[in-house]
Amino acid sequence: MSGNTGSYIFSCLFVLLAHGGMLLNVFINGNYSSISQVIILAGAVLILDAAYFVAMPFFKQTTYTVDFLLILILNMSVIFQSCFGGVSLDVKHYITSIVALAACRGGYLVCRNHKWLGQQRKFFYIGIGVLMLAILLLTGSRSMWISLGSITIQPSEFIKPLFVLACATSITEQQKKHKILFFYVVYENLALFGLTAAICLLQWWCRDLGSLPTFVGIYACGFLLRICYPKAKFSKKKLIGAGAALLAAAVAGMRFAPAYVQDRLHVDIWSDKNGDGYQQSQALIAIAKGGWFGKGPGYGGLHKVFAHENDIVFATISEEWGLLYALMMIFAILILVAVPLVNPPRSYFHGTMAAGVCAAFTVQMALNIFGSCNMIPFTGVTIPFISSGGSSMLISGFMAGMLVACQSPTMRAPAVHNHERQQPQQPVFQQQRRPYP
Amino acid sequence: MKSIKRCQRIISLFIILFIGGMIALVVKIQREASFYMINSEETSLGMVYDRNGDVLFDGTGKGEYPDGHFIDVGNLIGDDKGQMENTLVANNIQKLNNYSFSTGLVSEDGKAAIYTTLDHAANRAVYDAFGYAEGCAVAYNYKTGEILVCTSLPSFDFTKGYDDIANFKSGTLISKNMYGTVPGSTQKVSTVIAALEIMGADKLYSKRYNCTGSYLNKSGDRIDCHNAYGHGTLDIQLAIENSCNPFFAQLIEDDDLPLGKLKKVYETLGYAVNGEDEEYIDINGIKCEKASTTLNDPYEFKTQWGCMGQGDTLVSPVQLMIWQSAIANETGKVTMPYLIDHVTNVSGKVKERAKTQTSDRLFSADTASSVKEMLLTNGQNNYSWSIGGYKVGVKSGTAQVFEGEQENSLLVGFVDDPSLPVAFCVLIEDKNNTYLTTENIVKVMLDSLNNDLNG
Repeated sequence: MSGNTGSYIFSCLFVLLAHGGMLLNVFINGNYSSISQVIILAGAVLILDAAYFVAMPFFKQTTYTVDFLLILILNMSVIFQSCFGGVSLDVKHYITSIVALAACRGGYLVCRNHKWLGQQRKFFYIGIGVLMLAILLLTGSRSMWISLGSITIQPSEFIKPLFVLACATSITEQQKKHKILFFYVVYENLALFGLTAAICLLQWWCRDLGSLPTFVGIYACGFLLRICYPKAKFSKKKLIGAGAALLAAAVAGMRFAPAYVQDRLHVDIWSDKNGDGYQQSQALIAIAKGGWFGKGPGYGGLHKVFAHENDIVFATISEEWGLLYALMMIFAILILVAVPLVNPPRSYFHGTMAAGVCAAFTVQMALNIFGSCNMIPFTGVTIPFISSGGSSMLISGFMAGMLVACQSPTMRAPAVHNHERQQPQQPVFQQQRRPYP
Repeated sequence: MKSIKRCQRIISLFIILFIGGMIALVVKIQREASFYMINSEETSLGMVYDRNGDVLFDGTGKGEYPDGHFIDVGNLIGDDKGQMENTLVANNIQKLNNYSFSTGLVSEDGKAAIYTTLDHAANRAVYDAFGYAEGCAVAYNYKTGEILVCTSLPSFDFTKGYDDIANFKSGTLISKNMYGTVPGSTQKVSTVIAALEIMGADKLYSKRYNCTGSYLNKSGDRIDCHNAYGHGTLDIQLAIENSCNPFFAQLIEDDDLPLGKLKKVYETLGYAVNGEDEEYIDINGIKCEKASTTLNDPYEFKTQWGCMGQGDTLVSPVQLMIWQSAIANETGKVTMPYLIDHVTNVSGKVKERAKTQTSDRLFSADTASSVKEMLLTNGQNNYSWSIGGYKVGVKSGTAQVFEGEQENSLLVGFVDDPSLPVAFCVLIEDKNNTYLTTENIVKVMLDSLNNDLNG
């Protein structure tokens, strides 16, 4: 907030206005049996807004753009999820949203210092290794979930930020080339490639091929930014080669995909709308029923379909709120991942990290939305911040924190004292830009 | 700073690709939303009308109609019950739904409707003219492609439901006009077209063959003529008028009509020759079979018989009719038939309108003119009394089916009149069990159409 209180307050009002408008819509058009349900929902949303607005300034940043977008999206999500099938605060999703906000702070604190992160590189590999072992040993028979009583955890979600960090920290190693036989190689690149292959194999083994494109997307980002480093321009030969290799891998992957994946690749959802195509056909029908402006919060019918709150959540929202609102929601997430375009990352490392987070978010959204709408094979991935699920919300929040860290340096008072002027070296992550939200 | 921009370019790439996908998704949803709704349990169907606004299908179920009101076109228009798949309603049901993505489902006062080209009164007149006989009749405007008559018997009134479906006669739930039938001597029109294309008119007209009532072909098989006493020496015009089988058997054997070229012309006409995959004519979603035959050896009984419309040759009445358009228009191009004139959306706005389309050239304009002249002469000489008042070009046929146990009667042709540009095909099944003739049906059909179109 330092230096621009007016913008901060205006942004707070904007978020409150957006949520207030949605709550008013729930009040006027919603499906509820008692007004208290709307009041509880409104209270929960507005209290969380207010609490966050009060807490944010304690984290001194030059910009709060991501934070405002995050609270905007998360409370939109709380309102959406609380209306599915009838208005009633979705306490679980509300709590996971708070967890996501906390995780964002955590992500910011962990990732703001790139030097420290670079020193912790080996722990990212160790962390990923431990998580992969957990998947192998604790998830049961070729599954992706660990059950702890009433709570289930998806370890593959936790791999995502670690993998982004592993890709980003590898940038600093690109100058350290070693000759093996006739080739100069960077050990870090070999390690990353091996890690990616291991993750892909693991995803294959535990039948979580939905997450595989997300990891490939993150790796592709890191790879592109590594192979071009430190040259000023992209190497066209390398780009074409990498593209061809990716295409060949995709074709081979589809050719040799397991039977259940082949089924999804070729299923005609309309001729099998009560079988394998059930969720997608119901999702598309729900979008058609919703039209541009929706049937009204709580009046949808898709809440009776399995995974309506995560795998086909775009359609569930479209049915109740309309396609226009669902698109606006997606647009808000897109603005979040596009923030590094407006507030440039402060280093190549942070740029790589931001690109990795962008890749993870956009690929996940694409898989979820296009999959549920039968444009690509249907997978069970989530839309960040919108789909319900503790693991997903926690990790999405953490990755949003990584975005905050990319653009927001550790703060000190912007006033420049005389004795500081005499020091030639400023901290790498300090900026002199005028702060704005 | 350049390196930072590189990161931003990567981020931009992902965002642009995603936005591109979202745009494609929105377009897809806009285009297909009606289809999605039809697959839901919530529908609100509109009406199907004939060219004069008479109701052919009432999706609201609220209208009251005379008993048997829909029976003449029942198996062509169909309904939404799912018992009939190859019907207008079944294949265009999303156009009938009173739904749009903007307005949602409108259960009252929706104006989604299909306006067909059919003339209900003419269909009814033809249906009634069949009496107890079974068969089908189809007619269309060979200038525009509008199907005017398309009735098939037996039929049923779908408003009475399917409780008695077990007792429905065979063929009740289909429009026979769309399915292959043995064409009989109407097939000789195709053979004449092929001969004209291969030999040219001068050579074909110069050919003379003798008919003694039967002909022993070069393989030793006997081809009988329907006139046991024989027709004597004939040219092509007389052969067409007399539908002389020995003449055509000898024509097929003629060295001036090589089999390879014959097959090629047949394939161009749309025949699936010797077991090729049969193609379909799409009439607003309704699949209409084209034609198939066997052409192996010009001296073989089966091939010769196939060229005369017997054996395993099958042609749908619609296909027989639309070939007549290429002849009547003297272009060698078929005018493609359609049933839907225009469609209105839920608010009554016309959202699609039919356009006249023609096929590629199937045969030359000269050939078309020659065949037209032959058929008009045949009409003048042999049908002017039975189809009086109309200048028709026609070819009749008798088809043996069920191993020769039953004979069907066919008549294909066209009216050579700019004010009534109608091509038609009429089929009466088991002709020996009825006094009705195809000419009777054609006369009723043309009278009714003339009355309605030219009032």
